[in-house]
Amino acid sequence: MTANLVEIVSILAAALAVSFGAIGPALAEGRAVAAAMDAIARQPEAAGTLSRTLFVGLAMIETMAIYTLAIALLLLFANPFV
Amino acid sequence: MENPLTLEPLFHLGPVPITEPVLVTWAILALLALGTWLATRRLSLCPSKLQTVLELFVTTIDAQVRDTMQRDPARFRALIGTIFLFVLVANWSSLVPGIEPPTARLETDAALALIVFAATIWYGIAAQGLKGYLATFAEPSWVMIPLNLVEQITRTFSLIVRLFGNVMSGVFIIAIVLSLAGLLVPIPLMALDLLTGTVQAYIFAVLATVFIGAAVGEQTPSASASSSAKETRP
Amino acid sequence: MSFDWWTLGLQTVNVLILLWILSHFLFRPVSEIIEKRQAEATGELSHARAARAEAEAALTEAQARDEAVAARRAEVLSGAQAEAEHAKVQMLDEARREIAKLRTEGQAEAQRRRAEAERALQDEAAELAVDISERLLRRLPETTRTAGFIDGLAQAVAELPGQTREGLGAEGPVPVRAAQALSPEEAGLLKSRLAEVLGREIEIALTTDPSLIAGLELDAPHAVVRNHFRADLDRIRQELLRHD
Repeated sequence: MTANLVEIVSILAAALAVSFGAIGPALAEGRAVAAAMDAIARQPEAAGTLSRTLFVGLAMIETMAIYTLAIALLLLFANPFV
Repeated sequence: MENPLTLEPLFHLGPVPITEPVLVTWAILALLALGTWLATRRLSLCPSKLQTVLELFVTTIDAQVRDTMQRDPARFRALIGTIFLFVLVANWSSLVPGIEPPTARLETDAALALIVFAATIWYGIAAQGLKGYLATFAEPSWVMIPLNLVEQITRTFSLIVRLFGNVMSGVFIIAIVLSLAGLLVPIPLMALDLLTGTVQAYIFAVLATVFIGAAVGEQTPSASASSSAKETRP
Repeated sequence: MSFDWWTLGLQTVNVLILLWILSHFLFRPVSEIIEKRQAEATGELSHARAARAEAEAALTEAQARDEAVAARRAEVLSGAQAEAEHAKVQMLDEARREIAKLRTEGQAEAQRRRAEAERALQDEAAELAVDISERLLRRLPETTRTAGFIDGLAQAVAELPGQTREGLGAEGPVPVRAAQALSPEEAGLLKSRLAEVLGREIEIALTTDPSLIAGLELDAPHAVVRNHFRADLDRIRQELLRHD
């Protein structure tokens, strides 16, 4: 039962980590894309540089969500308490 | 469901256990070696279509390195280009049925990040000398030394986890969807996976460039020469 | 959680091998060919620049040559013009001088002609005058034609030098020519007058010569005494024709 409980808690924790960990990066990406669109609308000639920087920045932000995914995977597949 | 963090050896070569990512990497190695050898066998001053593509690739890498580092890209071209090309081809190898991309495994990503880490130190010492390179750790003030040392480790770790997480999650989600729906449904996800793979390869190369550029220092006498070379570039 | 260190090492080696392969087969040849093309293009460019500079130099040279030719042509032209001007002036001068000379010559010639004509006219006039007087004299009565002259002849004989006067009549009769035959009174008068002048009687042989018009002529061997119109007219003509 205790082992089952730990598994249940682990799964819950993994789901919570991914769901909450996705909120921040989602908001951040939305802001970044909005700002980039604004900048491109103001300066269409800088669209190349802006989109390149945007992609790098999005990847950086996305990394935060990926970290939570890694934590979730650790909890699911490499849980030290199971 | 298969555990994405564990790795079972397929067979043993003497005492060395050979796992799937190593095998796939060998295949990629052979493919790239054969392809580049065939492509660059006959180079001419009046380029064919293939040669034009190769030259575009090389000059684009040069331009990126020059933009980021403000330096002559000749010494960094091979490393950055190889990292980009290998990560790209490894990410896209998921298109081949039954093949799991090597970058979906921590070991491959760790190997790449390790090479970038070593290259950072190597180029930093080559450009500024041992003392000059070590002095960069106390850059704003000596208080920052522990933080800078930790940053070296964490950014390498973040390189590993970023690539691993992106690729692995793509593979994982496709596997889940495949187990649920099977036909046609995973295709948009695979297309997204291709895009993610390209972006991740680009980001990995750019970050490697940024790290090496930070290590070799901002301003050197060769910067003006490289900028003047950039201006004369057709 | 398991981390396969063997896989890590193998992948590192793999990536390093790939690095070598790509730098050997891809990046080095491609960048070399790009650099070669750039060098070629730069060489071509400098070539073209040099060729352009050469062409420009040739152009300026040609222009300079053109200008030199034009300058020389203008020079030659102006020289020729000056020469022509000079020649013209010279020719004009010559012509003017020639004309002047011709004119003076013509004038001299005309003067000479005029003088000649005048002279001829004068001569003719003199001849005419003599003729007229001769004719007029022939119209005189015959007596007057001789009588008047006897005194004159005697006077002329008287004026002869003495020796000549002595010799007169010594060698036969003295030939006397008259304009027409003398009447006996006239002959006697002549004889007496001569005798009066000479102081002795002399023989005279009378001959008639109408060319004398009027008057007498005494032809002694050492003296000729002329007292007639013919001689006078001759003298007048001589006088008139002397032109001085």
